[in-house]
Amino acid sequence: MQPTSTMNEEFLKKWQMGLQMFRPSIDNASVSERKRAIKLSADVAMASLRKGTTCWSRALIQKTATEDNFLVRQMLSGIKEETLINKKLPKVMCHRKIVRRSKKILMRRKSRSAMEEVAAKAKKLVKRKTQGLRNVVPGGEFMSNNVLLIQETLDYIVSLQTQVNVMRSIVDAAEAGIER
Amino acid sequence: MSNRRSRQSSSAPRISDDQIIDLVTKLRQILPEIGQRRRSDKVSASKVLQETCNYIRNLNKEVDNLSERLAQLLESVGEDSPEAAVIRSLLM
Repeated sequence: MQPTSTMNEEFLKKWQMGLQMFRPSIDNASVSERKRAIKLSADVAMASLRKGTTCWSRALIQKTATEDNFLVRQMLSGIKEETLINKKLPKVMCHRKIVRRSKKILMRRKSRSAMEEVAAKAKKLVKRKTQGLRNVVPGGEFMSNNVLLIQETLDYIVSLQTQVNVMRSIVDAAEAGIER
Repeated sequence: MSNRRSRQSSSAPRISDDQIIDLVTKLRQILPEIGQRRRSDKVSASKVLQETCNYIRNLNKEVDNLSERLAQLLESVGEDSPEAAVIRSLLM
């Protein structure tokens, strides 16, 4: 799956909308304030592309709303708010204590051959990397189902690519326009 | 044997091989480097996951850099200059 031109256009529109709303922060503010406004608009624009259908986009919107609720509500006024902000993310967490305990019991019970050791280490590594993935995907901590995690990751990546591509085009064009 | 496995998979959900293969196929379209380096069934799951994490982090960093560049750009142009108008028309 690749970012489509429709996604690019929608992202640009939404981002421009957000920047419009942030006019005061952008016109008369410090560089860091401006940067924050630009980034916030870009993130909400990216998340709103999914119209509340993915876990990561809902989590990202919730996270942004804590920083600037007004902006978020305005930008998403086209989409039903309940599905975005108030919807409870599934809080099915991995019961780590149970996992740890059952692993200890398993280790005690069977005598491990060398191959089993290797396989077990590989599994541990995969588990660790999976947790790493959960840390970078918004809302990842709520995705104990690994299939869901993978699906969300792929969708998140495509959305990020859209965000980066459009932003890069705009910034490059803007810089070119200035240097003339 | 099946007892142990079913107990493990219910209390410690881990990514199965099929899911990894699926992820690799899709990631290959997004990250061309993985596909060219090895055959699909030989790529290790942890490597794919690691590359994915790195890629996401890099994308986020790039968004951050672009936001910074844009913020700096707006700083460097005078409010009423033609350059500012150019940027405004692009952005808003």
